[in-house]
Amino acid sequence: MSEASRSDYDRGVNTFSPEGRFYQVEYALEAIKLGSTAIGIQTSEGAVLAAEKRVTSSLLVPSSIEKIVKIDDHVGCAVAGLTPDSRIIIEHARGQAQSHKFTYDEPILVRSVSQSVCDLALQFGESVGESKPKMSRPFGVALLIAGMDEDEKPSLYHCEPTGTLVKTRLKAIGGGQEGAQSKLEADFEKDYNENPTLEQAKHLALKVLKEVMEDKITKTNIELSFVTMGEIRGKKAPLFQYENEEALGQLIERIEREKREQDALEFGESGDRMEEDH
Amino acid sequence: MSITQYNGSAIVAMTGKNCVVIGCDKRLGQQALTVDMNFEKVFRVKDKLYVGLPGLATDVQTLHDRIRYRVNMYDLEEERAIQPDNLAHMISNMLYQKRFGPYFCEPIIAGLTEKDEPYIMGMDLIGCLSSAPDFIVGGTASDNLYGMCEALWEPDLGPDDLFRSASQALLNAVDRDAMSGWGAVVHVITPEKTETYHLQGRQD
Amino acid sequence: MVPTEHHGDQWEPYVDNGGSTLAIAGEDFVVIGSDTRSSDGYNINTRYDPKAFKFTNNTVLATTGYRADCKSMAKSVQAQITKYAHDHGKEMSVEAMAQMLSIMMYQKRFFSYYVFPIVAGIDKEGKGAVYSYDPVGNMERVGFRAFGSSSALLQPFIDDQLGFKNRADIKPEERELHLPDLQQAKNIITDVFNGAAERDIYTGDGLQLFTITKEGGIELEELPLKRD
Repeated sequence: MSEASRSDYDRGVNTFSPEGRFYQVEYALEAIKLGSTAIGIQTSEGAVLAAEKRVTSSLLVPSSIEKIVKIDDHVGCAVAGLTPDSRIIIEHARGQAQSHKFTYDEPILVRSVSQSVCDLALQFGESVGESKPKMSRPFGVALLIAGMDEDEKPSLYHCEPTGTLVKTRLKAIGGGQEGAQSKLEADFEKDYNENPTLEQAKHLALKVLKEVMEDKITKTNIELSFVTMGEIRGKKAPLFQYENEEALGQLIERIEREKREQDALEFGESGDRMEEDH
Repeated sequence: MSITQYNGSAIVAMTGKNCVVIGCDKRLGQQALTVDMNFEKVFRVKDKLYVGLPGLATDVQTLHDRIRYRVNMYDLEEERAIQPDNLAHMISNMLYQKRFGPYFCEPIIAGLTEKDEPYIMGMDLIGCLSSAPDFIVGGTASDNLYGMCEALWEPDLGPDDLFRSASQALLNAVDRDAMSGWGAVVHVITPEKTETYHLQGRQD
Repeated sequence: MVPTEHHGDQWEPYVDNGGSTLAIAGEDFVVIGSDTRSSDGYNINTRYDPKAFKFTNNTVLATTGYRADCKSMAKSVQAQITKYAHDHGKEMSVEAMAQMLSIMMYQKRFFSYYVFPIVAGIDKEGKGAVYSYDPVGNMERVGFRAFGSSSALLQPFIDDQLGFKNRADIKPEERELHLPDLQQAKNIITDVFNGAAERDIYTGDGLQLFTITKEGGIELEELPLKRD
């Protein structure tokens, strides 16, 4: 029965299968795994987002690919999956953030803006009578939303096509999500005793990202951003920002150096590797 | 808007212990347009007797002229100084004579009697007298002056304190009234002398 | 100042029910005074119709003007505050409530609520905050404000006492250095309301004094005013 029923029940986006599953939503989760990887880490002093960009051709301008976007001064978001879908979500989230600021003269909570995105994720389905759904199918993207509220507490949320919202401290989404997640969790505990500094978190994010990337990591085929206390119009405030190019270069350089040192240790006294180092 | 509010004015009279004060703003306007910044509305009648004339400026001037005429006639005929209560009734009578075509002015009288007792009196534009033991206010800032005076006035103030209270009342009242202001004049009347103070106020 | 419902045959949607409010912000407190009389022309509708209400554990909204509009607006504000608490899992701050009210009022720009609201509370920095509005939502944060039928009587006096206007001893710019303490603020309100009740027929019967502090929350005292 299962093979036949699957093809029947996966046509309607709002139809339960007899086993109680929504196949279309589950396929949407699969779509995420086809994309590039993104990583989020929350520390006590801020949150970090890192994402891989697949530059498929040397003619492609890498900066035209956007995997991490700003939602408001204090919130940013990394996406994995069908990035065009994310544009609808981002537009909505930015609208919600500005609307909140307009109505209440305060920045929206990271939790609230994340929740509003998840509410949107379920606005799909067939039209019933006069009412038309916003979308015909579920979104094919997962999001990592990082931000910091006025109480200076950073937070990281994971949002899926199922509409589920989870607050987390560590999360990897996209193509390399399984490998990256286990690596992240292992290092998080082993190297940082679950409490890295913001700089350590940046390092960890890039290190793990490098390992799950097919291409060699460079300044142009990744994005790195973070939220921490900064300055907005001369006033101390939570600030989402992209890592500058110089710092990014140094981080990558350090990761590559550490990798070489690691390899050298593992390969023992292998001559040419040592020479390469100096 | 009433014609009594056409030019803008603020006048206050207060009683103290053996003294009275009377003060006014200096603005003359034509509705929102300020025309003169030194238009006084309180006039000396005798050394210890003053009259304040809030209302339509043309009637203020005419009434002042007519009061001066009547007081001079009183002096000549009676050969004695007119007393505050006599003046009040005289003005009241003048106003009622124009019962159906009134001067648009509500005079306030302040002075010391023969026995140097404080005297204040107000009236409406047809001469209905109204006395008060504490203060009389008039003009476009009268609501503001009521609020100020209710809070600031207390019995048996000496001339210095009375001057301070009246000045504060006047200045703060006219600052919240667009039709009056541009400085103030306050006359402090005591048995010995009458002193006149010109107060600097907001120029807007 | 006299409320009118009819001008000839033309029906008027608004009535001024009179009454007065006065709020004073201190360093770490706010006091809001309001009378309880509600009138229509020379009739007194009721001697006990409170104008100020607690909205959160930290805010009070006081309104004069047309009572029906005041109450309708207050209901909408309360609904939004409750919704905000559910949506965002926290209580609305005075700043947020102030901004929200401004927008709610402007949304009715072409059939405004006939209201003169004052929002008072303790801000995020722990300081006393008073916000005042016109009927279409123009908002201003102030140190003190009087509204209603006695505003002309009340405001010049607090300009003098709290704004240090026209004074030889303290300059208006030094106001922040001479903020009133709680007792002084309460005394000013009770004194000046007694004066207003003396002269303004639309203000009287009872005085409600709300005190908001960071530690003590919101307290309400009721005092008598002239009833004639």
